Amino acid sequence: MDLQKSYKEDIRLFKKPSALVAFLVFLVGLIVFPFLMLKVSGGSYYINAVNLIAIYAIVAVGLNILVGYTGQISLGHAGFFAIGAYAQALLVARGDVPMLVALIVAGLIAAVFGLLLGLPALRLEGPYLAIATLGFGMAVCQIIGRLDFLGGRMGFSVPPPGLSGWVKAWLAHLYSPELAVDAPQYAMYLLIIPVSVILTIAAVNLMKSKVGRAFVAIRDSEVAAETIGVNLTRYKTTAFAVSAFYTGIAGGLYAHHMAFINPESFDLRLSILFLAMVVVGGLGSVLGSHLGALLITLLMFSLTAVRDVPEIIFGAIMILIILFEPLGLRGRWLKIKFYWKAWPF
Amino acid sequence: MTRKLTIILCILAAAMLVTGCPPKEEAEAPAEEPVKPAEPEQPAETDAAKTGVTDDTILVGQWSPQTGPAALWGAVARGTAAYFEMINAEGGIHGRKLKLLIRDDSYQAPKTKAAVMELAEKEGVFAFVGGVGTGPGMAVKDYLKEKKIPWIGPASGSSKWTEEFNRYLFSLYPTYTDEAKALVRYLLETAKKDKIAMLYQNDDYGKEGLEAARAELKKHGKELLAEVSVEMTDADLKSHVLKLKQAKPQAVILFVLPKHAAIAVGTAAKLKFKPLWVSTSTLSDAPLMHKITKGLWEGVVFDTFLELPDSDHPRVKKYREAYEKYGLKANPKEQWGLFFMAGFVFAEPFVEAVKKAGPDLDREKLVEALESLDKWDEGIGHNITFGPKRRQGQKAVFLATCKKGKAVKLTDWIEIE
Amino acid sequence: MFLQLIVMGLATGCLYALIALAMVIIYKTSEILNFSQGELAMVGAYIAFLLLDTLGLPFAVALPLTFLLSMALGALCELLFLQPARERARVIPLILLWAFTFFVLYLAGFVEPGVPVSLAVIVLVFAVWMTAETFSKRPLRKPTLLGLIIITLGLEMVLYGGAGGIWGAGQERLPSPVSDTAGFEVGQVYLSGLDLITFGGSVLIMLLLFLFFRYTRLGVAMKATAQNPLAARLMGIRPARIYSFTWALAALVGAFAGLLTASAQPLDNNLMMEPLLKGFAAAVLGGMHSLAGAVLGGCLLGVIESLVAGYLPDGTQYKSTVAFMIIILVLCIRPSGLLGRHFVKKV
Repeated sequence: MDLQKSYKEDIRLFKKPSALVAFLVFLVGLIVFPFLMLKVSGGSYYINAVNLIAIYAIVAVGLNILVGYTGQISLGHAGFFAIGAYAQALLVARGDVPMLVALIVAGLIAAVFGLLLGLPALRLEGPYLAIATLGFGMAVCQIIGRLDFLGGRMGFSVPPPGLSGWVKAWLAHLYSPELAVDAPQYAMYLLIIPVSVILTIAAVNLMKSKVGRAFVAIRDSEVAAETIGVNLTRYKTTAFAVSAFYTGIAGGLYAHHMAFINPESFDLRLSILFLAMVVVGGLGSVLGSHLGALLITLLMFSLTAVRDVPEIIFGAIMILIILFEPLGLRGRWLKIKFYWKAWPF
Repeated sequence: MTRKLTIILCILAAAMLVTGCPPKEEAEAPAEEPVKPAEPEQPAETDAAKTGVTDDTILVGQWSPQTGPAALWGAVARGTAAYFEMINAEGGIHGRKLKLLIRDDSYQAPKTKAAVMELAEKEGVFAFVGGVGTGPGMAVKDYLKEKKIPWIGPASGSSKWTEEFNRYLFSLYPTYTDEAKALVRYLLETAKKDKIAMLYQNDDYGKEGLEAARAELKKHGKELLAEVSVEMTDADLKSHVLKLKQAKPQAVILFVLPKHAAIAVGTAAKLKFKPLWVSTSTLSDAPLMHKITKGLWEGVVFDTFLELPDSDHPRVKKYREAYEKYGLKANPKEQWGLFFMAGFVFAEPFVEAVKKAGPDLDREKLVEALESLDKWDEGIGHNITFGPKRRQGQKAVFLATCKKGKAVKLTDWIEIE
Repeated sequence: MFLQLIVMGLATGCLYALIALAMVIIYKTSEILNFSQGELAMVGAYIAFLLLDTLGLPFAVALPLTFLLSMALGALCELLFLQPARERARVIPLILLWAFTFFVLYLAGFVEPGVPVSLAVIVLVFAVWMTAETFSKRPLRKPTLLGLIIITLGLEMVLYGGAGGIWGAGQERLPSPVSDTAGFEVGQVYLSGLDLITFGGSVLIMLLLFLFFRYTRLGVAMKATAQNPLAARLMGIRPARIYSFTWALAALVGAFAGLLTASAQPLDNNLMMEPLLKGFAAAVLGGMHSLAGAVLGGCLLGVIESLVAGYLPDGTQYKSTVAFMIIILVLCIRPSGLLGRHFVKKV
């Protein structure tokens, strides 16, 4: 179907013009969305939902890099999330660091921890790695809870994102005073969406590059990868570090989004949720991460009105999706795409 | 080609980030502005203040851990629901029926936030009543304050609700600090036991109690012999109880969940360790505690801030009927006890204030009506007092003990200052 | 104090060991990490509660019945949820799918407050679509190992929510003939009847399992299936039945653990969440392929936690963390656990 005639074509970001168009349409949609929500009653509820979806999407992309592309497993990503969140909170609230700079620093701090976790992970696989990462996640929460300068068990209030004067003026111009209260949600949207888009494009590019191919090689066969010269140590730790970086940045955004963080919210349940997003959405695919994050978050929100049995529905949906579509939501999307491409055969 | 494209996109995104608006939006903005651009603030406020009130309904919201590890507290919201149904059956208030919208947040802050935003903006509730959990509550506290939505009776005794003055947040649950003070004073003055240890949950609930207990003991020149913390997820308290036993206290203060209290007391019995146990209102459901400790709860002293579930108080009896009529119908497994009744006690002042505010109801009038409550004692709480600067409604508790599986009053209402 | 801590640690450790045993049994046979192990145990405890408390059956009747029903539940879970994934079956998933669809539609239509209609519609569309596809004779893909693990996670949620839905959120107490509160002194150490049963029961189960795998036909068949399902098939063993039985066996062991746990604390659907975690860690510590390792890991974990909690100031707060750190350290030195065997895989 697609004959690639050069290396450059192989690593193109958008293989077909239609993909590029689709992406641009999506971008336009993202830009127009907040304007639409201003008109709709309860619009900031949807903005809030989209913000959270975008945050979780970043985490899912990060985790997918580790689990889907490199074939490792992690049950401790809530730990990186927490590190990012607390680092951001500390830097912005106590350190008066500009928010964007703090975000990158938070991501880097998380990446350092990722590197540290990656070292023992070199020799471990399967359940052993799962437990090691689980222990890490647990340790992070415990330690954060002990440190009083991080607010201890009582939590930490995070100031809302500081916006540059330009943005403030624009918001004031656009929103009538009574909607000014909603500005935090919209301000967060302005922050989260561009970060999310940039990180996603970066991830796609990374996976098409030498580093990404090394990851996939490790996943498919470590021995073979080593044989052809992939330095396992370097690339495995890099995978952990990159994954942690993404999750850390998402954590920083989360801190601003929730405006209040405490160690309890970064528990094992969250790590499992992240893993579910990745597997249900589609392993080894950035699109899959987004679809997974979208589905799981929407489920979480829509099940708040169910009285007795939201977990049953949640669990059953997860089971059914895997049973019927082992490749996840992205697999289903691929099937649809191929069906249309191959029609009428 | 890809590289150029990527670079262009990155610059676009960065530009968007820095300036907040690509050129396209500038052109759109004036055309898309909402209809009322230059209205003065006040009239908009009055409209907002009337949200959730129609000629025949008042919409009230509550988040609740109906599922998950904190599901035991889900009964609070169901209690409030039964209470509202009872009031509606009596004709409502000024011709309006109360409608309670409950959302399950499983004690997870993101869900609480989503639920509150949904209720506040999509459903347009008038006020929030109850709401379990300090963590979840903290996640939405500022949002509710900014939106000027009244929130009455958070189902948590954290001092955080009243730390800073918040015009729209009315706390009813006596703070954990107050409870700890009451317990310590009882031990020192009445029970004459000064060798005290403490088992506390490692979160804001237990820690606030710990600080308060320490402070109160220090005032009397004493200190805790042992301070042992319990994680919420702990299922095995053998080492904890052993540590307590090593300190040889005469009394142990419990600032934990029912499950942990049951395990602790059971393990202590096994180790032949029998101090005087005192606990907070969380563990004041004597029949429940008696059941889950298989009778070992005998003689435990606890404080509580609402009438006992099997008391003869006329209101309690009335609420019990409401439980049988509405509560059991909605959930056949519902149990009558502290948590269900809590749903009533956190909503009573709200209902009273709605009555006082009159037929022309809005949020500001509600706030004023609440502020006018002074030593209001017609509910199952005690001496609810608010004021223009006071937002902690109840500062009174009383002590009781468990005798033969039933709660028996030990003291009368005590005001804690 | 030291001795008491050790004994207490062993008691808790044996509980972890039981869960670890259950997980290892399943992992040995099918390399699946069964995250729903804890909930199977919890449901087992609730079944016992139903029989003993609600129906008032005598203990001698209720106990064997509980075990039987737990085994049936385990086998059923495997048949319904894992078998189709493995064997590319079509019928069972379809039945599940439509059962779920009707459930959701019921919730959306008849229960207030219920599922949002949009969700119900999406589920319905999904059901119809999948049905159509099933009849299109296109080959079904098998889920990856990670997918199977996610299925067990989903199963865990279903069981958790199901137990919560059936028995409510209230705390119950299992009427157990063995008391955990009547202690008696042995030397300097206090023990309870339950502790003795825990020790004895765990050792007995380990011995029985060892004998089972070594000397019975079924046990050998299970080992054979684990090594090479195809060869086992050629020898006349039906792997499908073996897998179902594996789960039944694991559920049995889990139910025993659940009963022990529920005898010492109030019963609610959160009963086994923490023990599952610890049991998993214990299994990893001991080596996922080794039954003896599971027991060793469990006991070690219990003792370590107990000593940390007992001796370190504020030790109770991070006993779990320290235990996990020690496990990670052990794994750094022995990546397959203490008694695990490192398999040589063909590349």
